[in-house]
Amino acid sequence: MKPIVTIPEKYRPAIDREACIRCKKCIKACSYGALDFKDDKVKVGKGCVACIRCVYECPTDAITVIELPKQFAPHAVFSPEIRRSLISQANSGGVLLSSCGANAEYMDIFNDILLDAAQVTNPSIDPLREPVETKTYLGRRPGKVVVDDNGKIDLDASETPIVVMDMPIMIGHISLGSISYNAQAALFRAATELNILAGTGEGGLHNDFYPMAKNLCAEVASGRFGVTSQYLKEVSCVDIKIGQGAKPGHGGHLPGEKVQKLISETRMIPLGTDALSPYPHHDIYSIEDLQQLISVLKESTEYEVPVGVKIAAVHNVGAIASGIVRAGADFLTIDGLRGGTGSAPRVIRDHAGMPIEIAVSAVDQRLEQEGLRDKVTLCASGSIRTAADMIKCIALGADVVGVCTSAMIAMGCTVCQQCHRGACSWGIATQKPELTSRLDIEIATQRIVNMFHAWNEELKEILGAMGIDSVESLVGNRDRLRYIGPNPRIAEILDVKHSGEGWG
Amino acid sequence: MDRDYMQTATLSFPEASSVFAEQSYVVEIPDCHKPRMGSCGIAGCINIDGSMISGSKIEKMITTMSERENGLGSGFVAYGLFPDFAEEYCMQFLFENEDSQAQTEELMSNWVYMIKDEKVPTFPQRSMMPPFPLVRRYFVRPKKGTEVYIRTGLNEEDYMVRLVMSINETVPGSYCVSSGKDMAVFKGSGYAREIAKFYDISRYKGSMWLSHSRFPTNSPGWWAGSHPISILDWSICHNGEITSYGVNRKLVEMAGYKCTLLTDSEVVTYLWDLMVRRHRLPPTAAAFAMAPWYYKDIERLPDNERRLANQLRITYKEAFLNGPFSILVGRSDPVVTMMALADRKKLRPLVMGVSGDGNSVYAASEECAIKSVQGDAEMWATRAGNPAIVKVGEGIVRRGTEAPFLGAI
Repeated sequence: MKPIVTIPEKYRPAIDREACIRCKKCIKACSYGALDFKDDKVKVGKGCVACIRCVYECPTDAITVIELPKQFAPHAVFSPEIRRSLISQANSGGVLLSSCGANAEYMDIFNDILLDAAQVTNPSIDPLREPVETKTYLGRRPGKVVVDDNGKIDLDASETPIVVMDMPIMIGHISLGSISYNAQAALFRAATELNILAGTGEGGLHNDFYPMAKNLCAEVASGRFGVTSQYLKEVSCVDIKIGQGAKPGHGGHLPGEKVQKLISETRMIPLGTDALSPYPHHDIYSIEDLQQLISVLKESTEYEVPVGVKIAAVHNVGAIASGIVRAGADFLTIDGLRGGTGSAPRVIRDHAGMPIEIAVSAVDQRLEQEGLRDKVTLCASGSIRTAADMIKCIALGADVVGVCTSAMIAMGCTVCQQCHRGACSWGIATQKPELTSRLDIEIATQRIVNMFHAWNEELKEILGAMGIDSVESLVGNRDRLRYIGPNPRIAEILDVKHSGEGWG
Repeated sequence: MDRDYMQTATLSFPEASSVFAEQSYVVEIPDCHKPRMGSCGIAGCINIDGSMISGSKIEKMITTMSERENGLGSGFVAYGLFPDFAEEYCMQFLFENEDSQAQTEELMSNWVYMIKDEKVPTFPQRSMMPPFPLVRRYFVRPKKGTEVYIRTGLNEEDYMVRLVMSINETVPGSYCVSSGKDMAVFKGSGYAREIAKFYDISRYKGSMWLSHSRFPTNSPGWWAGSHPISILDWSICHNGEITSYGVNRKLVEMAGYKCTLLTDSEVVTYLWDLMVRRHRLPPTAAAFAMAPWYYKDIERLPDNERRLANQLRITYKEAFLNGPFSILVGRSDPVVTMMALADRKKLRPLVMGVSGDGNSVYAASEECAIKSVQGDAEMWATRAGNPAIVKVGEGIVRRGTEAPFLGAI
């Protein structure tokens, strides 16, 4: 059926004809077919996604990508975006896919929260002159140390499996498949260099990456791709993925175009097939079942690594979290509404779940009410964009923050939201050899290391300004936050006072 | 920072006369220009042989440091006050009015047998700001075996903690300021000299005294919020500001304590009770959890101590008191003990002194407080994050300059 309405283009490369030397680099750069060479000049066609790879490649700076004016007649209710998706659906009859995090204007609560600083009564600390500690642990804590009848501390009975990290940062779970070998190698190497954790994602672990397993967190998702006993035993912690903030209630989606030889071997699935993980784990239909899977994983790893559970932030997240901790999870990851993805139905990406700010505070408060908070590590992810977000998220209740999109941006990602198409022109979210080779592992690693190093320095600066010399004293320290947004009810729910309120 | 802990740090303080020439360099400052200097002051004294110390001694110590207060709170605690009622819990109250007293007594009657109750003599000072509270003490024994007792499912001490918490939380205008055996807290809003006169501190004698004068900055100055802050036999005088308060409060509230006194120092008391009484940690381990070493220093410890240090940091990370502080801790179970601890950077002052005969040990914010009552005192300073511990009958168990777990774990 021929579409009766075409969707207007959103972006268009503009070429400065005088500067252009007709080297055709831009044409090779464009993996979306928006540029062509005809009649001895670069011809601009349709399909530009504003990934700006051509801008990067152009040796004479002759290209700028411009956002085209909205073609639709203005309407206050049916926005151009809504009309666009309706036309697409009428054309294809399918569920619209998208990627990266929610692209909807939900209230960004991080921007409504202000941090405290020390003045007069407690001295602020200059992290360049005095130590400010950012070492962080992940795993179950005993709640109290065991003291024997003679009043001696019994260390053997007190110690639990725990992972030590140099920063309260974990690179989130991004599977091999959704991203390229080079991209994953860079993330893992950066994690090793920084001594933090990186998630493997649900695609198993490539043989080449086993030497870095001590800085990896293995994901066990509903598809169980690549879950072998070696995989579970060599990593430093295991994470059961129940849900993901970008698509709560859904499993992973890996389009068949991305299932090339490397991926099919690691995931142990046939070439070119869609890898669609089941929505629930088919052995977890209740909390009791989850408890069993946690036990099974602890048994199979001989109780030597922490086993955690990752859920999407949904409306009853506090109660769910407490059930998970009682079921034996050593750490708990909450993934917020704005979290990223390599492919998700747009309707769920943009409309289901709950912002991480509210979720992390709700979970922290609930675990505290139930007396569980001193026993479990709480990780929070879902659009932790900057060091400021990280600091606010920690103060709202997270021990560790999970970061994905920002790490990808450090590698070159421009958040053009085309990951699901497998044609990433930066060589990150693609499996096409001619594209993946664009990502230099060394350079990408260094850039990620640089970025997180800078975040950690900023964390120390803020801690020092607050008069805190160790990050654990910021975890859930909501007294040091104030709300300045439009809706005081949010402040109440966050358990954060309004700006202007003192604490006495 | 130099952390060569094996070396004992002993400070020597020259006599004032050798420093200043005969001519005085001190300029008399007109009243209107007198600077509002200060922060809190703390002072404590203990006799190792358990002999009694008059209240006038501690009064002298704390009032000597008058520059460290602004008249918004002060207090004293004495141990060994009531030998005749040593087995009963002494609950001492500040009541706003007769109503709060009646309500409290009604609530208490369900929980405890009242062996004796008496009015605490008070002498309102002209310079102090009214209204003055009613101060009363009750010697009580828990009603064991009653339905209330069984329903709580608690042991005796936790039962008493629960009673104190529920009175402070639910009865308007009633605050139980101390609830231990053979000890009592005398505190209020005013300068140390005023509070000392208000309670006529010199009439009491105890084997150990702690005191505090206050310069509140982050919380209101009021009667019940003054220090020492006490629960059971614990009492704490705290000089400092806790930047990790939100985290520390979480831990104690999870353990059933209620923070009702509007001051960050409250959590310190509950942390000691939680870690040492309930979790049975040795006091040095608890002190380490509150003022832990840096990881880079922990690395240098011998194997077992390093494991222990890391485990304490992991397990009790919510007990870490971040920010500047120096605290004096008193307790009487099993023996009367004074502990002195400063934060791990030692951003608040704390000096110790011992009399020439070695029997009287002192701790204070400033040397002058000690020298004012014991001219011959040998002085030393505790190290950052390192507790000094003095026990009746045992002497100076730790000077606060030793290895973190030496001899105690």
